[in-house]
Amino acid sequence: MMHLNKWFLGFVFLISFVNLNSQNLELGKVSVAELQEKMHSIDTSAVAAVLSNKAKTSFKYNEKSGFSIHTEFQIRIKIYKKEGLSWANFEVPYYVGYENSIDDSVRFSDAVTYNLENGVVVKTKLNSEGSFMTNANKYWNVASITLPNVKVGSVIEFRYILKSDNIVKFPHFNFQYEIPVNYAEYGTEIPGFFVYKAIVNGFLQAKTEQRVSSGTLHYANKNDFTRSDSVNFKQLISTYSASNIPALKYEPYVDNLENYRFSIQHELEKTQFYQEQVKDYATTWEGVAKTIFENKDFGKELEQGVYFLDDLKIILKKEESTTVTELEKLLIIFKFVQQKMNWNKENSYYTDKGVKEAYANKIGNSAEINFILINMLKIAGINANPVLVSTKDHGIPVYPNHTVFNYVIAAANIGGKQILLDATSKFTAPDVLPLNALNWRGRLIRKDGTSDEINLVPEIPSKKNYTLLIAVDANGKIDGKFRVQNTNSEALIFREKFSGVNKESYLEKLENDLNGIEISDHAIENENMDLSKPVTEIFTFATTNHCEIIAGKMFINPMLFFALSKNPFVRENRQMPLYFGYARQNKYNISVEIPAGYVVESLPKVMRISTAGKEATFNINTLNVGNKIQFVISEEINGAIFYAEFYGELKEFYQKIIEKQNEKIVLKRI
Amino acid sequence: MKITSLFLLFFTTVAFTVHAQKNEYQSLNISDSLTENANAVVRLNQIDIVISSQRSMNIKTKRVVTVLNEKGINAIDAIESYDKRRTVKAIEAIIYDALGNEIKKIKRKDFKDQSASGGSTIFSDGRYIYMEYTPTQYPFTVVYESEIETSNTAFIPTWSILSDFYVSIEKSVLNVNFPATLGFKKKEFNFSNFKIKKDTDTATQLSYSVATVLAQKFEDFTPVSKVFPKVMMGLESFNLEGVDGTAKNWKEYGKWFSENILMGTAILNEETKVKIKSLVGIETDPIKKARIVYQYMQEKSRYVSVQVGIGGFKPMLASDVDRLGYGDCKALSNYTRALLDVVGVPSYYTELFGDQDIRNIEADFFSIQGNHVILCVPNGEDTVFLECTSQDDPFGYQANFTDDRDVVVMKPEGGEIIHTKTYHNKDNAQISKGNYAIDANGNFSGKITIVSEGSQYARKAAIENMQPTAKEAHYKGYWSTINNLKIEKTTFSNDKEKVRFTENGIINAINYGTISGSKMMFAINAFNQFTGSVKRIRNRKNPFEIQRGFIDTDEIEVALPAGFAVEFIPSDFESTTKFGEYKSEIVKKDGATLIYKRTLFIKKGVYSNKEYDEYRLFMEQISKIDNAKIILTKNQ
Repeated sequence: MMHLNKWFLGFVFLISFVNLNSQNLELGKVSVAELQEKMHSIDTSAVAAVLSNKAKTSFKYNEKSGFSIHTEFQIRIKIYKKEGLSWANFEVPYYVGYENSIDDSVRFSDAVTYNLENGVVVKTKLNSEGSFMTNANKYWNVASITLPNVKVGSVIEFRYILKSDNIVKFPHFNFQYEIPVNYAEYGTEIPGFFVYKAIVNGFLQAKTEQRVSSGTLHYANKNDFTRSDSVNFKQLISTYSASNIPALKYEPYVDNLENYRFSIQHELEKTQFYQEQVKDYATTWEGVAKTIFENKDFGKELEQGVYFLDDLKIILKKEESTTVTELEKLLIIFKFVQQKMNWNKENSYYTDKGVKEAYANKIGNSAEINFILINMLKIAGINANPVLVSTKDHGIPVYPNHTVFNYVIAAANIGGKQILLDATSKFTAPDVLPLNALNWRGRLIRKDGTSDEINLVPEIPSKKNYTLLIAVDANGKIDGKFRVQNTNSEALIFREKFSGVNKESYLEKLENDLNGIEISDHAIENENMDLSKPVTEIFTFATTNHCEIIAGKMFINPMLFFALSKNPFVRENRQMPLYFGYARQNKYNISVEIPAGYVVESLPKVMRISTAGKEATFNINTLNVGNKIQFVISEEINGAIFYAEFYGELKEFYQKIIEKQNEKIVLKRI
Repeated sequence: MKITSLFLLFFTTVAFTVHAQKNEYQSLNISDSLTENANAVVRLNQIDIVISSQRSMNIKTKRVVTVLNEKGINAIDAIESYDKRRTVKAIEAIIYDALGNEIKKIKRKDFKDQSASGGSTIFSDGRYIYMEYTPTQYPFTVVYESEIETSNTAFIPTWSILSDFYVSIEKSVLNVNFPATLGFKKKEFNFSNFKIKKDTDTATQLSYSVATVLAQKFEDFTPVSKVFPKVMMGLESFNLEGVDGTAKNWKEYGKWFSENILMGTAILNEETKVKIKSLVGIETDPIKKARIVYQYMQEKSRYVSVQVGIGGFKPMLASDVDRLGYGDCKALSNYTRALLDVVGVPSYYTELFGDQDIRNIEADFFSIQGNHVILCVPNGEDTVFLECTSQDDPFGYQANFTDDRDVVVMKPEGGEIIHTKTYHNKDNAQISKGNYAIDANGNFSGKITIVSEGSQYARKAAIENMQPTAKEAHYKGYWSTINNLKIEKTTFSNDKEKVRFTENGIINAINYGTISGSKMMFAINAFNQFTGSVKRIRNRKNPFEIQRGFIDTDEIEVALPAGFAVEFIPSDFESTTKFGEYKSEIVKKDGATLIYKRTLFIKKGVYSNKEYDEYRLFMEQISKIDNAKIILTKNQ
């Protein structure tokens, strides 16, 4: 909530009556041509299209509640196919969970369906029976409409106004939808005492026009309710527009599709009221760090220390000898917090109930749990700081502001090296973060307002080291021993998957996933004794599905059930970066014993394949001595994220390794 | 004042501590048999239902669940729904640690409240109240208690002893009290393998109890409704969303429903009547008329679900559907009924369980059942059923959602149980005809026509309207054994009259044949390999069911590359089992052409747990033979 207050006193003499420059955005002018159109002119597969989507955000002022923003949307949609009929139901969620501010509100109006009947345009208006408001939960309401009489060929349009007292952020405006958009336009009218940063997202460019004009705000006179006062000021009028925006489509290996949606958002940067100092909201990382630190649910919570002292003494007592290193202390504290605390699945960088209560209840959000960790590390003499993170689901933190982040982890500095820690998961380890946190870069912030960019992507690749000893009998049955060691992120994934699972059902699924092998003597080493060390899965197996006997010859794929059969990359080209999350190395040591009476006729050839910059590599080495064949195969992805330009090369790489991986050992009778 | 309240607070705290430890809820003394295969153990599930009158029912639940690990959290099931006619009078939970010490009390205000709208339902006045709890240790025990008061006596909850897999039951109790005058009745299902005790069964009381039900492992193809025990209950005199009703059987229910719920909902305005009459014109055959009306309805309307009050049970007025062009299954079926009535074709509102899993309305036991509505159109001795929520289904198509089950048809003279269309094994056919050629480099180019009918029609008809990327993904999945697949062209024809979907495809792929030295090798069955697998299940306990049979036939001409001789051809194969038949053969047409023929026929049926391995091996063998390779040698 923001009041005019002093500002108002200074400008009161400027009162005059100037007409608001209201724009005429035309709804209601649907053409016969639009109704006759059978398919979208560019994307013929489109089930529906947004013919136009116009919105405008402007400010209102009220004596009691201060400034608010009103965003008016006007949307026109054409339905081409039956599958597109769902676009005639439209939902707008809005926030009602403010602590000291009025709920947002949404009001639909002018919702109409247009059909062409015997060459005549027929209008059907939406009335109240097709308009709904749902109180979804404590924080969100949903306003929804379902338009009447919608068929294939219909054009629908509607208007809605979203009002909010929260002026820190404007509603997102999406230029791009899951269906094509013919024309989109977003306008803002921002009074001169506010400065917003406009952030455009996606791969397309919006045409931008800006001009300064005079604006007026009207509000009720304090003393005489029949009169209304108004105030004049300079305002910045901006218009962002774009035409023929293709539909947004999912591609594999994308971190979060929303990162690439063509959209625009506005963040409050500063306010500059008359006779007041400029108030900086967030223009630099320092500004962000400062604002966040100043919040009581952040800075103060990081100063707490007494509540766990007794526990800390006990856990460090055992190691009271002088030889205990900082790193050892860190491991003890991390393990303690990880085991004691239970994450309520809430992402936040602010505490909710506070660290003390969270500690007592053993339950907390991401801030509470990792602040407890930081508090303990600091008391134990280890330099530790919070690192703001945007989770993968939340998007990429590109510009400095405080809404780009939604999560916080800890960084401990030991011997000049930062170790990243997140105690919310039961299976993480130092420098092994939950996958959802492996999202580009985080921001380490300190009390003094300084901050550093932190690379969240692990430096060390995660490994899967396989060792297989297999023997083939004269009937083509294969018996073998399997061992796989998972490190770092791979260990985390394995432990999460394996935890609490019904063992028999797990094995039944695993047997099926590995092309119907039969597993016995299954065991796990270091399931959760020491999470910073690898976890190993071991079993014995037998299979009759991995050797083909054709015309007296045996054909065996040395990679058995590991061979890739399908290229994950299908499309010709790509705009979105390729997200792998973490660098990885798979290594296979496979030893094959061939049956008596057979000799090797041919083996897959030794080969090294890699992309030009060694971003991805594949090697296979073979050695045949007597009745034993030894394979050493390695696959590496040496990075977490690759630019879209790399797509063609990676796709080709996969094609090559698929061919290679499907080459077989051929055995013939002596 | 202040002192008093402080004192009270202190007092209650003390009282609390004294009673906080509950030995019976210790997690440590659970027997090993109950923890085997279990993520949670239901220590006690006691449901007390008191029906005090036709318009008043009270349901008290006490559920004590020991959660052994994080996968067992769902078994707590601390959730209640409510609406205008159903109130949650009390709800709370207490959490105990493994030793039975109380660790947390969750009061009503700490439960979360959420709307039932969402998904395909755009609006519902129903809401949920549920517990959200972050466990701090395992095992822990939740004692959950709730009390519901409702006037909807038409819906007495079914007593389901086993609610899920991997959950065992230490004790489960049901007590029902009812006035002798309301015509209470019940039906027991699948009791035979469980030691369920009927403690009371009088004119006003029914109670059951069962102890030690072991956790069930999930096993593929288990017909749950034929295995898990349950008791369904109903009243002859009930209240449904504010309307009193009386029915002893389906016949009476149908009559009551027609007179009290459907009456007056199927009126259309003159304009619509004129329009539909002119569309039908001079057609006299009732089924042909119905086809015209069905198509009109499909083009005019769309599925939108809005559920308010009795609207959850009573269809929206036909005149409103006509005006708005949308509705849910009830509204659209009833609207179609109104349209058919205008052109003199009788049709009947029909309630059923709509699901891919076949589930009957219990013919010999009346209670309010079902989750879906379709429309029944008599056709002489036969009947046609119309799915009115689809804009695409052919007239009378039912496979995979409403087929082969008992449904209740609401005729004005009385309800009638009718069995819907069964898609017999051989009706569900896929016929593939085509050819492919392999060149000297192993490259593949082929042409194929696939015709799908019966239950296989539905799975294919959707392809036509897929987005290009989804279509490509479908074919890359369908022909997953052709590496480097490139789809040159696809065309489709959808004969809704005959319910037959035809795909024509031209495809190619480099390196389909693997060349090593002077030899080339490839799988002759390129177009239709069975790649699915049937899991090996250790000590299967439950029977398994194949709900719909099918038959696939393939005839493919294969042109071999010039300059190669055939070194090896897989031998012909035939296998007949109780589950079906499989046959593959290769005929040499001439020196450079082979004809590959294949038939896979699977029968529907319910089989015992013992027969599962036999089925698995049959399918595994098919998968191997489908992948059999041919070897060619280059002429020197």
